[in-house]
Amino acid sequence: MTHPRGVLIAGLLLVGSSVLAQKTAINIPFETYTLPNGLTVVFSTDHTAPTVAVNIWYHVGSKNEVPGRTGFAHLFEHVMFTGSGHVPYGVHDKLTEGVGGSNNGSTSNDMTNYYETIPVNYLESALWIESDRMGYLLDTLDIAKLNAQRDIVKNERRQRMDNQPYGRVFEILSNNMYPDAHPYHWDVIGSMEDLSAASEEDVKNFFRLYYAPNNAFLTIVGDFDPAQTKAWVQKYFGDIPRGKPVPRPTVAPVTLQMPKRLSYEDRVQVPRLYIVWPTVGEKNDDRFALAVLGSILAGPRTAPLTKALVFDTQAAASVSADQNTNEDVGEFFVTITPRPAHSLAELEAAADAVISRMQADGPTAEQVQKATAGEELSFVRGLESNLGKAFQLANGAAIHGDPGYFRTEYQKTLAVTPADVKRVANKYLTGGRLVLSVVPVGKADQASKPAESQSVK
Amino acid sequence: MNRRIFIFLVALTLQLPTSSVPLFAQAATAATQALDRTKTPPIGKTPELRVPAWTTTTLANGAELIVSEKHDLPLVSFSITFLGGADQFEQAGRRGVAGLTAAMLSEGTKTRDGEALSNALQLLGTNVSAGVAGESGAITFISTTSKFPATLDILADMLVNSTFPAPALERLRANRLVALQQAKAQSGAIASRVFPRVLYSDAHPYGRSTTEESIKAITRDDVVSFHQAFFKPGRAVITVVGDVTASAVKPIVEKGLAAWTAGGTKPDFSYPAVPGVKPTTIYLIDKPEAAQSTFALGIPGPPRNTPDYYALQVMNTILGGMFQSRLNANIREEKGYSYGVTSGFGYGKGPGPFRAGGDIVSAKSDLGLIEFMKELRGIVGARPVTAEELQIAKEALVQRLPGTFASVGAINGALTTLWIQGLPNDYYQQYAKAIAAVTAEDVVRVAKKYIDLDHLAIVVVGDRASIEAPLKATNVAPVVALDIEGNPAK
Repeated sequence: MTHPRGVLIAGLLLVGSSVLAQKTAINIPFETYTLPNGLTVVFSTDHTAPTVAVNIWYHVGSKNEVPGRTGFAHLFEHVMFTGSGHVPYGVHDKLTEGVGGSNNGSTSNDMTNYYETIPVNYLESALWIESDRMGYLLDTLDIAKLNAQRDIVKNERRQRMDNQPYGRVFEILSNNMYPDAHPYHWDVIGSMEDLSAASEEDVKNFFRLYYAPNNAFLTIVGDFDPAQTKAWVQKYFGDIPRGKPVPRPTVAPVTLQMPKRLSYEDRVQVPRLYIVWPTVGEKNDDRFALAVLGSILAGPRTAPLTKALVFDTQAAASVSADQNTNEDVGEFFVTITPRPAHSLAELEAAADAVISRMQADGPTAEQVQKATAGEELSFVRGLESNLGKAFQLANGAAIHGDPGYFRTEYQKTLAVTPADVKRVANKYLTGGRLVLSVVPVGKADQASKPAESQSVK
Repeated sequence: MNRRIFIFLVALTLQLPTSSVPLFAQAATAATQALDRTKTPPIGKTPELRVPAWTTTTLANGAELIVSEKHDLPLVSFSITFLGGADQFEQAGRRGVAGLTAAMLSEGTKTRDGEALSNALQLLGTNVSAGVAGESGAITFISTTSKFPATLDILADMLVNSTFPAPALERLRANRLVALQQAKAQSGAIASRVFPRVLYSDAHPYGRSTTEESIKAITRDDVVSFHQAFFKPGRAVITVVGDVTASAVKPIVEKGLAAWTAGGTKPDFSYPAVPGVKPTTIYLIDKPEAAQSTFALGIPGPPRNTPDYYALQVMNTILGGMFQSRLNANIREEKGYSYGVTSGFGYGKGPGPFRAGGDIVSAKSDLGLIEFMKELRGIVGARPVTAEELQIAKEALVQRLPGTFASVGAINGALTTLWIQGLPNDYYQQYAKAIAAVTAEDVVRVAKKYIDLDHLAIVVVGDRASIEAPLKATNVAPVVALDIEGNPAK
């Protein structure tokens, strides 16, 4: 949609954020400081166009929710657009989209961010708006505002998931990969029932705990004057009081002892198979080799899974393989869409054969080289977007304590060796995995090994 | 000075401790002064529009060459854009041949098979994309500066020496059929197929879509013929934007494309007449148990070269082009029936459609329709355009422009658009003036002229069992049931 104040698909923020290099252009110059109230500030100037991106990243997401209130972090994100103590509803849109800019927010399992891209002469007003909702959201909150956003979010859920072929897959996978009450057990969008249950009091408590400057990271990127902007940051954010220390959920690592097979009947025309292994999150360096493994296995026609399934046997219309990385957990996904007359069971076996060969032989040096050859281009292209840079700097500052973490990420990606890839393929792509067959309604027999598959609703 | 106290974190690996003392005394003092947060901060000086400069020249084979230099990053955006597309070059029973031909360019050349092409591009860290839309087609890539000549060589090989192996066509065909099958479960895809068919019929290129039948009918000869007819320098512009110099780039492109010989002319974009408009009708396509109803309301509109373009842009921005536009402010923000509704014009060389719509929760389908119609009646006169609406719409359109020249890809698109649409070289410089001239009367005039409420097509994809009776009861228009291809439902 044109105006998604919406759910961030898990891991999307990090796509293309592997970065930086030996070449001169591979850098994002930045300056950072912290206000006495705990707000972390990062500036990066870029004078290409007379625009600026402002991004505030709060370290709270769906994993901070509790069972019975799933979807709350994202519902709250919507409430943040309903006006605040000194900024009436509608002014935000007027001073961003109404002057040729844009605004939006997004929520993931791990974080919630709010951002504007604006002509640079509207930077001060953007800081006024962001600081007012950080400091004074509750002054104008009432149940009517909450109810209005609740209806919109329920429609977001319908549009993205319930009325979308394969739309519930990630919810089903989270529910089954992570045990009940595990912080990653539920999807960011939450359940309809829990969305109905959220109260005004829930909003107030959530805001007071998580929307304090000590839990926030402000990044400003573009054609601005740092000295002037620093004074504005102090003026608008300096008097917002520090909040209480923010509790972080305990996230137990997950392993599956044996395959868990699921079958879901969806309103689809073509079945699809998802094979998912629990892997690692942001802070575990195996994620770099896992991401390279994904790039090696599927994508271009020379990639072994693509070559075997889509080109040689032509049993599949498409196949993908990706590491999805959240802050504390990750998963490795293989997704296969069959061609007619080819069963999901046949495709599962064919994919397993390719993966077994990769585990036995490891990739060639050239396969690794091809998988990482695009990193420099994707980094330099990322430099063209103020907003993209603002996201990267905030993510590094918040999760790794270093806005310049993009360099480490880039270097570690380029340093991945064939031995690393072979090792992670063997360590993580084991028998302990989820296998989800999505089949047309009434066609449960099309699942891979239907007799061993548990039917999910 | 203040700037000294910024900590340049390049050498540090840890975040500053959050308990650190105030970093700069001067600003901390400022915070103790009372801040009146009720006052909107003053707005700074409007930034100047900086439109990139470019050169134009013609290659030996007749293709035009546009070069725009941008040296801050080692990037090059390259495109060859062809005037005319599927609507001009596909036969009625062969819809889909343009896309298949574009895909076949990656399947092998006289000296490289498909895998060799793929390997070469992977090692260059880039990708060459080819595609053909309704009225134009393009082959493009973005590379780092150092990889530009090598990538261009591969593109040239694909363009000139492709061999179109028959087995590859069968594989691509089979995969297209799977995608068409999958789309039958997707409400948005169904609406996007039926809406143009209802507006334009099969007799007009705008009304035709790729179907299973047309994909199955395409032969290798069709692909080879399409390639020979379409990818010609006589209707092409080559746009190069980025870390190159105009003087250096011409010989590189001449050399790279030396084997691409002259030929082809620009199409005249003549279209058959649009079939006579019908009285406003609701076309209902059943999607059993759908959680939402997908709406597409519209009518054939004007071509891009209409003198009403600027007034239409302002009008649509007020109606449905922004978040706080009337449609979204009402149907999403006030009523909560949807996650978002929009409107827009298709602007092409011919009568591209006006289309408003979005996804409405099934139980509110009737009320959603009533609100869509209310806002359409409003913009054609029932609800006067306020001075504030007019001012915000104009400001949003004009102020958007400076930010659009930020990337090599965006500059490429902006310059190529001038060429495709035949717009003057000072189009971007004159844009603000043209928008500023639009009055509230113009807005209502063009709304009345182009949004004919008596002849709308209202396509609704949703759960017929639960929404048909309520839609009828609105008395907005009669309901006609169609299948997912747009044929009368059984």
